[in-house]
Order: sequence, then structure tokens, then C-alpha cells
Amino acid sequence: MEACNQQRALIPSYLDGELSEAQAAPLRKHLLACQDCRNQAQGEKSLKAWFRTEGPAEVPEGFAARIARRAFDGDTGEPVAPLPAQNEAPILRFVLAATSVAAAVLLILAITLRSSDLPSSDRLRADSDSPQQLEEVLRELDRVNAKAALEAERK
Amino acid sequence: MGTPMMEPAQAEDSQLVQETLAGNRMSFQLLVERYEGRLFSLARHYTRNPVDAEDIVQEAFLKAFRRLDSFDGRSSFYTWIYRIAVNTVLDVMKRRGRSPVQNVEDPELVGEARPVSCPAPDAGLHTQEVSEITHRVLEELPEIFRTVLVLREFEEQSYQAIADLLGISIGTVESRLFRARAKFKQKLLALYPEFGGA
Ligand SMILES: [Zn+2]
Repeated sequence: MEACNQQRALIPSYLDGELSEAQAAPLRKHLLACQDCRNQAQGEKSLKAWFRTEGPAEVPEGFAARIARRAFDGDTGEPVAPLPAQNEAPILRFVLAATSVAAAVLLILAITLRSSDLPSSDRLRADSDSPQQLEEVLRELDRVNAKAALEAERK
Repeated sequence: MGTPMMEPAQAEDSQLVQETLAGNRMSFQLLVERYEGRLFSLARHYTRNPVDAEDIVQEAFLKAFRRLDSFDGRSSFYTWIYRIAVNTVLDVMKRRGRSPVQNVEDPELVGEARPVSCPAPDAGLHTQEVSEITHRVLEELPEIFRTVLVLREFEEQSYQAIADLLGISIGTVESRLFRARAKFKQKLLALYPEFGGA
């Protein structure tokens, strides 16, 4: 029993190929004679069978050339971005679109305000036109937003 | 070719490192080509997502490039880059909220792991299926245990190499492996009770 405990403790290292021959020889001898310890060794082997290699890992096409280029371009590569890179483009497009619409709104507001300052007979018309234009600009902004959101989602 | 002590591949690596430091991009590309396969092989045990794996390997190589002048050629380039890769993987895992490899739930403090008998994978399972199950179980283990199992069982690193990579003693490697295996068996049977049949 004492011999079993002693030998059993060596089984994992034995299967990992980490025992010296001086340690491995008595263990092998014990395993030949002892069914219990053989079962134990079999169990350890079964565990190892779960760690089967899947063959060589796949490397993406042109990886090394890309890395070398990035390294020499001074890319620090840190940290791994939490956002996948593909998402940046639609978001950027959305921001640009939203900005340009906002600029248009400002421009129209400026024109409307200026024309409303004009003491002319057109004043009423200008007043009735501007909310309509603003409404349309806002609707356009909604459309752009929705489209950008949809695109970002699809990516 | 280099000193008589050096393996030919090692001498070539040193040469490529020197050329890279002198500004030769192609030499660095060749170094990457030599070791990219082994780094991707390591990364895939931590993430099943190919894009994530690529991010990890990329970060490791770019880190190596920035520190290339600190490579002194005493160890092989492979050992050097592999250590950077292991550290990068563990950094990324930590950033993602995995428990660190050192401290917390120190396995030396965890009580005696109860030996559970382990079923072998069903003969009818394909390598791919076995691998899916194994990685699913590994995902559930504390990082401290997953890493010793990955390094020992998949990467076939020696106890000494694992000790060097993680900055722990060989005795600690042994006791961690012992507990990691016990945990692996427990989790395997908890997640897949159908394998416990016998
Ligand atoms: Zn025995």
C-alpha cells in the first residue's frame, strides 16, 4: 500500500516524460505487478487523450508580410482593440453624414433667420417656409441615422 | 556560421534579428514566417475566434519587434518570442476579465484535489469534436490551471520550460498540473455527465 502511494504519485510525471530512468524503472516494474496502479495510469492516459492536437494552426494569407509592414510603419499593435476594425467605417460614415446634415441645418437656420430680419412683404412666406424646411431636414437626419444604424448593425 | 555552440537555425535567427535591427523589413518578415505557425497554435487554445487569435499573434510580434534590441541571443529566438507570446496571451485574457495566472485562488492553498477517474473520449468522436469539448472545459478553469494544461498537454512544453515561462518553480508546475488535471476531470463530468457512464 505504501509502495502503491509512492509509485502512484509518480505516474503523471512518468506519462509527461519527466522522470529519470532511475525513477521510471521501478515504476514500470510496479505497474507490471499492480493492477490498481495500472488502472490509475490508464485513467491519467485517458485524460491526456482529451488533449489531441488538431494539426497545424491555420495562418492567414500574407500575415507575415502584413506584420512586417506594420512593424516598420511604427504600429505599436497595442492593445487588442475592443471594437472590431470593420465597425469603424460605418460609424465614421455616420458621424460624417450627421455632421454634414447638422451643417445644412445651421445654414438653413441662418438663411431663415436672416430673411426673417428682412422688412419685406416676403416675411410671411419666409416664416411659413422655414419650419417646413426644418422639418424636412430633421426627417432627412432621421433617415441618415436609421440607414447608418442599419449598416452598422449589418456589419 | 556563428559560434560552434549554436544550432544552425539559431544562428540564422540571430542573423535575421541583426538585419531587422539594421532596417531590413524582409528579414523581419522571414522571422515572422518561421514562428507564426507556433504562435497561432498557442493562441487558438485561448480563443476559438480566428480574428481574436490573429489579434493576439499580431500583438506578440509587434511587441517583439519593439523590444528586438533586448534580444541578446543567449536563449534561442523561439524561446524568446514564445515567452512574449505567452505573456501577450495572458495580458489579453486579463484585459478580458480572466483571473490572472499568479496569485488569487492559489492552487497551493486549495485543498487536496480529490482524484476522480477520467473517461477517455468516445472512440466515435472526431478530433474536431474532442477539441471543442476540451476547449469548452478549459474555458471554465481558472487561468492558472488552463495555462499549465495548455502548455503541457497541447504545447508539449517540459516542466522546466513551463517554470521558466511562468516564473514559478518546477515543484509548483507539478502541483499545479496535478490540481489542474483534477479540476479538468471534475468540470468535464459536470459539463458532460454523459461521459461518466461507466
Ligand atoms: Zn500499486
